[in-house]
Amino acid sequence: MDVFSSLMDGFATALTPMNFLYAVIGVVLGTAVGVLPGLGPAMTVALLLPVTYVLEPTSAFIMFAGIYYGGMYGGSTTSILLNTPGESSSVVTAIEGNKMAKAGRAAQALATAAIGSFVAGTIGTALLAVCAPIVVKFAVSLGSPSYFAIMVLALLAVTAVLGSSRLRGFASLGLGLAIGLVGMDSVTGQARLTFGQPLLSDGLDIVVVAVAIFAVGEALWVAAHLRRTPLHIIPVGQPWMGKEDWKRSWKPWLRGTVLGFPFGALPAGGAEIPTFLSYVTEKRLTKHPEEFGKGAIEGVAGPEAANNAAAAGTLTPMLALGLPTNATAAVMLAAFTSYGIQPGPQLFESEGPLVWALIASLFIGNFLLLVINLPLAPLWAKLLQLPRPYLYAGILFFATLGAYSVNLQAFDLVILLVLGALGFMMRRFGLPVLPLILGVILGPRVEGQLRKTLQLSAGDPAGLWSEPIAVGIYVIVAIILAWPLLLKAWRRSRPQAEPAFAGMPATSEADPDRTDAGGANPHPFDDRDLDTTRNTAAGRQERP
Amino acid sequence: MSIIVGYLPSPEGTAALEAAITQARKDAKLLVVINSSRGDALVDKRYAENEEIAGIEERLKKEGIEHLVQQPVRGNDAASEVLQAAEQHRADLIVIGLRRRTPVGKLIMGSTAQQILLEAGCPVLAVKAAHQS
Amino acid sequence: MTSLTSRLKGRSELGVALLLGAAGGLVLWDAVGLVTPYSKSDPVGPKTVPYIVAGLLLVCAVMLAINVLRGGHGETEGGEDVDLSHPADWKTVLPLAGAFIANVLIIDWAGWVISGTVLFWGSVWALGSRHYVRDGLISVSLSLLTFYGFYLGLGISLPAGLLEGIL
Repeated sequence: MDVFSSLMDGFATALTPMNFLYAVIGVVLGTAVGVLPGLGPAMTVALLLPVTYVLEPTSAFIMFAGIYYGGMYGGSTTSILLNTPGESSSVVTAIEGNKMAKAGRAAQALATAAIGSFVAGTIGTALLAVCAPIVVKFAVSLGSPSYFAIMVLALLAVTAVLGSSRLRGFASLGLGLAIGLVGMDSVTGQARLTFGQPLLSDGLDIVVVAVAIFAVGEALWVAAHLRRTPLHIIPVGQPWMGKEDWKRSWKPWLRGTVLGFPFGALPAGGAEIPTFLSYVTEKRLTKHPEEFGKGAIEGVAGPEAANNAAAAGTLTPMLALGLPTNATAAVMLAAFTSYGIQPGPQLFESEGPLVWALIASLFIGNFLLLVINLPLAPLWAKLLQLPRPYLYAGILFFATLGAYSVNLQAFDLVILLVLGALGFMMRRFGLPVLPLILGVILGPRVEGQLRKTLQLSAGDPAGLWSEPIAVGIYVIVAIILAWPLLLKAWRRSRPQAEPAFAGMPATSEADPDRTDAGGANPHPFDDRDLDTTRNTAAGRQERP
Repeated sequence: MSIIVGYLPSPEGTAALEAAITQARKDAKLLVVINSSRGDALVDKRYAENEEIAGIEERLKKEGIEHLVQQPVRGNDAASEVLQAAEQHRADLIVIGLRRRTPVGKLIMGSTAQQILLEAGCPVLAVKAAHQS
Repeated sequence: MTSLTSRLKGRSELGVALLLGAAGGLVLWDAVGLVTPYSKSDPVGPKTVPYIVAGLLLVCAVMLAINVLRGGHGETEGGEDVDLSHPADWKTVLPLAGAFIANVLIIDWAGWVISGTVLFWGSVWALGSRHYVRDGLISVSLSLLTFYGFYLGLGISLPAGLLEGIL
């Protein structure tokens, strides 16, 4: 009952009036940015990193947790009401959700998404509370060689599996690692990549890097490609569900949860694959197959649950191993670092109360999302009328403020602009952002583990594979790296066989680096079912 | 010679359209309906939906009025779109809908109606929304 | 010659390869200059990882260049509020960057309230808003609000600059 009593202590911390207030702020803010176009939870947490200089770690993380879950929720609202999924994880929700809304069932679609998110989030968080300590128990027994291998795996998995081009993923990773090198070498005290500039000797502040890549780069990118044609939002009142809707929703919720959590916990698992799998499962199991494609409630309930369960799953490796597997987790990890808290298996021991308060606040945040947001849905829809100039000027304004307040020096703003321009360029040329951020955050830690490993083995490289776990992980790494070749060989031996699901990780294309971006399809699936997600409202032009 | 009407999907906009149709019927002129959006927000409720525009076009066709329905989205505000159309079609009447604005609201938000009234080179007919009593 | 120029046309992505190559070269050059003191406790030394990173960047640069010349290109990132059907709108981006640079140049001298106002007002203008009065009011109040918010709430005193003594 160790977990239970720790969790209760966590609730006691999280429910103090101040911390509860931060949870409310986080949830409301998270939902707002989830709804607003162009803003996501990763960017919001990045913009809020400066508060970590004054706020207690516990309060800050309670707020960040609220933003994380709130952002997931807000994303589903826009995909249902507008058919513009902001996050790749809500692409699937838009398929049936928007059809339901068009058929006058927006209230039910929003309700099943919200309640499903709550159910899945709560179960997912409970699984996190149970699994994370087990993972930790296993992880603390690992030595530097295994830990080095795990981090290499995390970096390579995110780089090679996510995104559509492995080559561009590795390019992004390389840039991130190079940025991570800047500053004083921790062992010999030599300045690396500082070019004699004393302001660089402490390294680039992770706050500045995260804000530059996620906020400045994104704002400039969107500004260059502003959508001009207004979209039409489907008017909605208070979300609610009838008896029949409940009956049809509860099983998809549970199935979605089961699919979502493990995928979220895997490095590079993400939320896209489980939401898609959930959609396919529900389509197969439903008693109303004729409704699919026209607004079936199961097609909203399942993927939304999978999405939120995956969000909870993502936090397992983040808290237990210090390995972020998506952008928001990466920025949260940056917040740990800026508090001087060492993420990793020791986290549960050294910062036990903080971690358990964070987990407790996830339960609270989930509950708050349900009670605050069900009545507020019509209000959130109004938020979409905010004129863009204010939105994007506001992002730049707060990005500048945040980066400047780190050291109060204009030099940081120059770096902000340079890295912002880099973020812009990466979006323009299809270099994924996540490997870069992971490279910046994990790079120095990987180097540290490497040096420790070889120090223990007195310089013998065999020390790297001196632990069985490490060997096992290197085998997985090898498989990931050789995957395209293996697939090619397999396809050649069975020429007409279709792969299990078309383009699951999109890297499985015959030549992964030749992505001909015909339609700029942000999600990795090529299934015909998903064609409906393409924006239909974009074709409106001036009438002659 | 023509009549320009600034249209919004709202009671004021509908009132303006009705008034414009009455005028056009009388004088049998070209009626230009302008429903513009600055296009600066993801969602703009002042931008009429496809079905609504189709409905207006059908109605005007039935009435036998020569007409043009335009939905410009060029980043300009509604007033300059209406004024531009008035100049282009050498309008002899502009019809707009009015709604109540507080002085402070006018200062902050600006007033489309005021700008059209002040800058138009032809008579302006300003109508209010029909009262529902 | 002509085949080379026609091949280069529309291959702005080669610039990315160039940038990667430059970054790799820089990391390599910097790593060469490092001194490795002989030490039993640190057999890896400060050079190893920079060498690996430089190697990764250089390999990526070459492979990307080959990939682009063979006709591959990256998938431009879409999004909720992104319309990729028209080319990059530099008339928006450049003034936006201008507002940002103006802020960087004057922040230490004029103080946050003034530079922040310039930044927000300039950005809003660059993004196409023409409600000068409303935008100005919002800019000033945002800057003042954050100035006092940071001072009172977070204990960070942003520079007051020219308005020193007034604020």
